[in-house]
Amino acid sequence: MVPVANRPLLEHVLEAVVAAGIDHVVFVVGYRQERIRNHFGDGDEWGIDVEYVEQSTQLGTGHAVLQAEPAVDGPFVVVNGDRIVDPSIVTTVCDRAASGETPTVAVTRVDNPQAYGVVTLEGDRVVAIDEKPDVPVETGRINAGVYGFSPAIFEAIRETTTAGELTITATLNDVASAAGVYAVSYDGRWLDVSNLWDLLAVNAALIGADEAASESTVGEAVASETTGAHADSVSVADDAVLADTVRVGPNVTLGGATAIGRNATVEAGAVVENAVVFPDAVIGAGAVVRGAIVAGNARIGPNATVAGEPATVVVGDTVHHDVALSGVVGDNATIGAGATLTDGAVVGDDVAAEAGVVVDGRVAPGAVVRRG
Amino acid sequence: MCGIIGLIGDVDARETNGEPGPSVGDVVHQGLANLEYRGYDSAGIALVDTADGLTVAKQSGQVDELAVPELDAVTHGIGHTRWSTHGPPTDANAHPHTDCAGDVAVVHNGIVENYETLKNDLEAAGHTFTSDTDTEVIPHLIEDALATDPDADLLDAVRRVETQLAGSYAICAVREGDDRIVVARRGSPLVIGRGTDASFVASDVTAFLEHTREVTYLEDGDVAALNAGRVQVFHGGEPVDRGVETVEWEADAAEKGGYDHYMRKEIHEQPESLRQTLAGRLDVESGDVDLDVSFPPGVLADVEEIQIVACGTSYYAGRYAAQLFEEFAGVRATVEIASEYAFGAGRTPDRTLVVAVTQSGETADTLGAVRRANAAGARTLAVTNTVGSTVTRETDTTAYIRAGPEIGVAATKTFASQVATLAMLAVLFGRDRGALGAADARSVLEDLRGLPGAVQQVLDEEEAVREAAREYGDSEAFFFIGRALGVPVALEGALKLKEISYDHAEGFTAGELKHGPLALVTSETPVLAVLTEGADAGETMNNVTEAQTRGAPALGCVSAGEAYGTLDVSFSVPNVGVVEPLVANVYLQLFAYHVANAKGRAIDKPRNLAKSVTVE
Repeated sequence: MVPVANRPLLEHVLEAVVAAGIDHVVFVVGYRQERIRNHFGDGDEWGIDVEYVEQSTQLGTGHAVLQAEPAVDGPFVVVNGDRIVDPSIVTTVCDRAASGETPTVAVTRVDNPQAYGVVTLEGDRVVAIDEKPDVPVETGRINAGVYGFSPAIFEAIRETTTAGELTITATLNDVASAAGVYAVSYDGRWLDVSNLWDLLAVNAALIGADEAASESTVGEAVASETTGAHADSVSVADDAVLADTVRVGPNVTLGGATAIGRNATVEAGAVVENAVVFPDAVIGAGAVVRGAIVAGNARIGPNATVAGEPATVVVGDTVHHDVALSGVVGDNATIGAGATLTDGAVVGDDVAAEAGVVVDGRVAPGAVVRRG
Repeated sequence: MCGIIGLIGDVDARETNGEPGPSVGDVVHQGLANLEYRGYDSAGIALVDTADGLTVAKQSGQVDELAVPELDAVTHGIGHTRWSTHGPPTDANAHPHTDCAGDVAVVHNGIVENYETLKNDLEAAGHTFTSDTDTEVIPHLIEDALATDPDADLLDAVRRVETQLAGSYAICAVREGDDRIVVARRGSPLVIGRGTDASFVASDVTAFLEHTREVTYLEDGDVAALNAGRVQVFHGGEPVDRGVETVEWEADAAEKGGYDHYMRKEIHEQPESLRQTLAGRLDVESGDVDLDVSFPPGVLADVEEIQIVACGTSYYAGRYAAQLFEEFAGVRATVEIASEYAFGAGRTPDRTLVVAVTQSGETADTLGAVRRANAAGARTLAVTNTVGSTVTRETDTTAYIRAGPEIGVAATKTFASQVATLAMLAVLFGRDRGALGAADARSVLEDLRGLPGAVQQVLDEEEAVREAAREYGDSEAFFFIGRALGVPVALEGALKLKEISYDHAEGFTAGELKHGPLALVTSETPVLAVLTEGADAGETMNNVTEAQTRGAPALGCVSAGEAYGTLDVSFSVPNVGVVEPLVANVYLQLFAYHVANAKGRAIDKPRNLAKSVTVE
């Protein structure tokens, strides 16, 4: 339920699916599913039926699809929850799925194919999908994460044997070499939010997009209401989106490409720009937050700084270079007064960083960062 | 959120062997009752009768208070139930709305964004409006469309009006002399039910699921005309076939959004409902609260005593609040069970403020206490969830808790929002009376601001609570203890468990344990303790140890950063000062839920209990 332009990413995904004319959606849920259930309910608000199936242990994307089997009785479309696409590709894949048993995969082009499942094609047939290959590739074509299936796919998933996670691409590779898999190419909007720093770019893109333009106007109107008595002293960019329960102190500057979630507070004199601030977070007085993600209920102390240049970010075992992200502050983390986060610092959930510290690397969840 | 229902034709005509089935009015009324989960502060019905034409009955209040007009030859009708969160639910603002002549009636969900422009144009053309709603422009536009073109019928008129409206809506319209219900949908849900000799329309299939499971879902931009046995759907002026689907799930599951019980849904809604409770009310930097309660100047400064009157869970919210009033506002505060309340003992009426806490605003015992206070001349204030409820009309002023509709009989999110609202009230009083400095107020408001996030952290620990419920759920009895602000939470925790699991559960002041209840403690009676800030954790821990010495297992809700190694189970409560016990309560709610759920209890409708007790 990561917020993008102040609405959950998943809601943007769902809206594309609904716009494509799909009226029955099954969410395969696991981690923190209550938040998803609370938000989407029975789908009334979107005029669709929503069902939930639980994936109690995360054993891969193929395993996730398998969980939906009891809820599916005909051709169906599978989309990734962290990719925003246009309705047109959902419609195309949906039509293909309705016309036969052969699975269909949407294929798009990106500049960094090695970060994704690289697709090798022969005409409109898939030859192979290589997940994040570590050898140079000749094609920019990747798996867009939109699939059309018939219920026969469930049997195919069960027959797939893999050493590690049961991924849907493993099954597709099996099917491709047997009965075949169709590819449909797609060159529309494809926004990936599987990495944290992508969130800033996608947030900016969606706030800037036409559909969100009206929302930002709402944001402005709301801003003057929330800022109340200080309205004159507060500067809000046109493309800043504020939830209706945000508190903004005097002399605050809210710069462009910024989304601030419900019950969040930006105290006097703070500067927030190109940032995603989740619900319940607090940006302390005089703090500067640029190019940053501040997660739920996090506290940025007075005069703290989260800012910097494009940086190298290490997540898990992977090093990502030239990322336009100065820092990430995890859920419920506390950054002390005057502390500095820079160069792509990633502060985990529940971290307590004391006043005045400088953080430029990765801090494990729950850690305490002291001066010295 | 509002609910719409419409019916044309005869229901169950065949099942009753020629006997007259339920009347159109009764079926519409029952449909509204089925939709009550969508809100219930005003309701209305419009019936079309071959003899008497169009009859409208509407009023603020609950659906079951609405009297269905008794008419002989009703062919079709529409109804509406409303839950207003902004603006009062008055009789005039209730749906259906009619045109000037009273020939056309409309119910509507959603928002007509351009209604001001439309209303100005219509008023300039001589139309008279009787309500403040955006909806009312629709019947007048229909009237206008019918007058402009003498050949136009209701369907033509709705199709024309639909192009004039901006915003999101679902509309149902009826007209005297027209044997159809005409509906339109854009952005708000609307579903048509296909009976044998009847057609239904509603915002949710639960409204008519007892009559038919064959449904047609409308799409945005659709306009449909319903006859008893026939439904025509149009899109962009062309007839379209939207098909018929069969609803397979049970009515009860419809509105719970995938949860097994409303109670669990409502427990998980607490971060969001608390955000709503706090929205726009905290000015943390200046240490002020804006609650929109109005008293003449000087009244708060002159108050000598605050008497809180309430029942059940609201009473425990009052117990919590009384301590905050004394601490923040330096005013004597007492809490009375509403049914026991009497004004007297030499109190000065205009220096006594009686605060009535009631979720529904209709609790008969609490209303009785308010009336006794008013009769004595005391000042009165209501703290309620329900806009326009009786208690708001009978008190001097009201603070709304804004928790949204609560369906589960066991109150959960409304308790949290009641305490949060009362805490803001205590800060407001303290500031007004000069008893609370800006710096202290700021610290309290910071804690309140952190409440939604803290509750979310607790909800994320649900699995640990489920595990504890599995381990200790089959015990003989459960004792909940706490001190100071932990006392009302211990009492509320015990009430939740007894309400929904039917187990023996008691809440005690921790210090009282050794003065009697300790005799009940055995290895089969777990003790659940509130060990947080604001609840004298260290001293309470001594009492926990007394119980453990007698073999009782001990579970504690402990402030983050503290640890008591001897506890059998420890739940961590984020650091949010005086509201920590309130956050600890969320663990107790989850515990009660999982104990009861494991025993297969009827959690949302416990035996013998009703959501809102409107008898004394």
